[in-house]
Amino acid sequence: MAYQLYRNTTLGNSLQESLDELIQTQQITPQLALQVLLQFDKAINTALANRVRNRVNFKGSLNTYRFCDNVWTFVLNDVEFREVTDLVKVDKMKIVACDGKNTGSNPAE
Amino acid sequence: MPSFPPQPKLYFSIIDDVIESIRELFLDEGVPEGVLDDLRQLWESKVLQSRAVEGFAKDNLNPSNFVLQLPANYPQTLHKPTASVVIPAGRHAQSFTAKASNTGTIATFSLPPGVTYPVQIPAGVTLQTASGHLYKVNVPVMVTQAPECQRIPPQTNQSLIEQRNRPPTVIHKIPAQVTAPGPQILPVPQASKPVLPPQDQTQNRLTQQPKIPVEQSTQALVPVTPDTSTLHQPSQSALESSIEFTLDGIEFSPQPLDMSVSSPFSMQQQPRGLQGELPHMQMLEFGASVQDMVERAVKIGEESGALSNTADTMSLLPDLDRMPDSAGKLEGLLMDYNFNELDDIVQLDGTGDSSSEVGDEEREQQRREEEEEDQGAVGENEFLGMINAEALKALQGAGESSSSCPSSDGDEPDLEEVEEEDPLNSGDDVSEQDIPEIFDTENVIVCQYDKIHRSKNRWKFYLKDGVMCYSGKDYVFSKAVGEAEW
Repeated sequence: MAYQLYRNTTLGNSLQESLDELIQTQQITPQLALQVLLQFDKAINTALANRVRNRVNFKGSLNTYRFCDNVWTFVLNDVEFREVTDLVKVDKMKIVACDGKNTGSNPAE
Repeated sequence: MPSFPPQPKLYFSIIDDVIESIRELFLDEGVPEGVLDDLRQLWESKVLQSRAVEGFAKDNLNPSNFVLQLPANYPQTLHKPTASVVIPAGRHAQSFTAKASNTGTIATFSLPPGVTYPVQIPAGVTLQTASGHLYKVNVPVMVTQAPECQRIPPQTNQSLIEQRNRPPTVIHKIPAQVTAPGPQILPVPQASKPVLPPQDQTQNRLTQQPKIPVEQSTQALVPVTPDTSTLHQPSQSALESSIEFTLDGIEFSPQPLDMSVSSPFSMQQQPRGLQGELPHMQMLEFGASVQDMVERAVKIGEESGALSNTADTMSLLPDLDRMPDSAGKLEGLLMDYNFNELDDIVQLDGTGDSSSEVGDEEREQQRREEEEEDQGAVGENEFLGMINAEALKALQGAGESSSSCPSSDGDEPDLEEVEEEDPLNSGDDVSEQDIPEIFDTENVIVCQYDKIHRSKNRWKFYLKDGVMCYSGKDYVFSKAVGEAEW
């Protein structure tokens, strides 16, 4: 069972909205929608692990940190993200991170 | 850089994987395959509309966003067009898409070989974008090629494109009759003109469009693309210009009138001889600004000088929830205090509870009786609306016995003491409400951590497999290393 972490992304949210619409029109059942989301979790975990190959560095100031249920939540301010030559500056950024060493047993969010 | 922002291929590949993996699931559940296609289309359209994926138009060598796929038995006949559409296509659109490479919001057509302009698209034809998205035409459409003189000047075009900032396959220029498969689109009558001519004179042309078609096409466009603000602004200005109302003799463009709100007024006020003006005044509150209404209320109050008029002007206030009740209550209060002119408009907010209207009515009746007996007991809890200075003084004078009155002399020393104490202790508490706000942000990274290290107040983050959403755009990374000082 893969992390459900990525449901709170654009891709995940749009999938959930689409499933909600189909449930509203009674084209699918909520149980089926749940199955779809589980498949989505697997697919996105696999895709990110296998199809993405890039590295990013960032630097900023840490506003808050939280560690609960093996999930880190950080809020950073004035962060600079660098990838090779590109630079992205962000005033405020929240990071939600699940344990990367134990991906299978603890679904989060 | 492949991940800033991520190529659409990654997202669409994930969508493909998910769809394929759930195909058997749907079959097992007995769900028709059309539902699966609907899910896919919905998902893809939402992803594209969310602005998370950019640069799609850049990768698209074909300048046209749409390839017109006509049915096999489509005859290229030139019937009298029921609706005419002028859409720039082909080379003319090159400048559009080139400038819209980051936004790519202009929809263009390329015709299949053997088909020339003008093209009549009958109802039921499906338009397919280069990316494979399908859009169904609900009503017959005639597609003609834009003449040279109607090309948009680059500056105007660029400003419009910059304002839009949308993924390319979202339809902007398609006439109002075209619908996306997912969103619900209002059907537009065939006789209506679309609002989408070429844009060199767009701003002027749109305002000159007939009012009703502008309204309809505006309504039809809104569900398709949420970010059509630039197109709608001239439409809306046309709408606004069509809404005309004057204080005297009042005419206004038809707007939905909530008769349930206005009828009590008309019932109450008509006997007082304001039949001609009252309904219009009531309707004004739907369209006019608060300031305008207050100014007009002052004028009305000064001109008429009658109690009924002041009650009338009070009805103009945008307090729709309270209107039916407050007008009646107000009458009673005003009659009691017997003032004739509005010298100073003082707005007094209700100090007490304003829970249910039914309870308020009953309480008001009781209060009137009490007032008649006590000659001046104040019912502030249910009083909403305007009251002049004289009534205010009378209220304050009569309100000494009322415990709810905050301005009574007896309570002032106590209030002062409380106020002095609060500032001393107010800063000590950490509000629980602040904590969730700290974590509320639109910029989020969801990822996994390999290692989180801290040394005193220096933190180091070793993250992987993350998706970052920043300003609505998505970025992905396989590894991220960061440091921060707390």
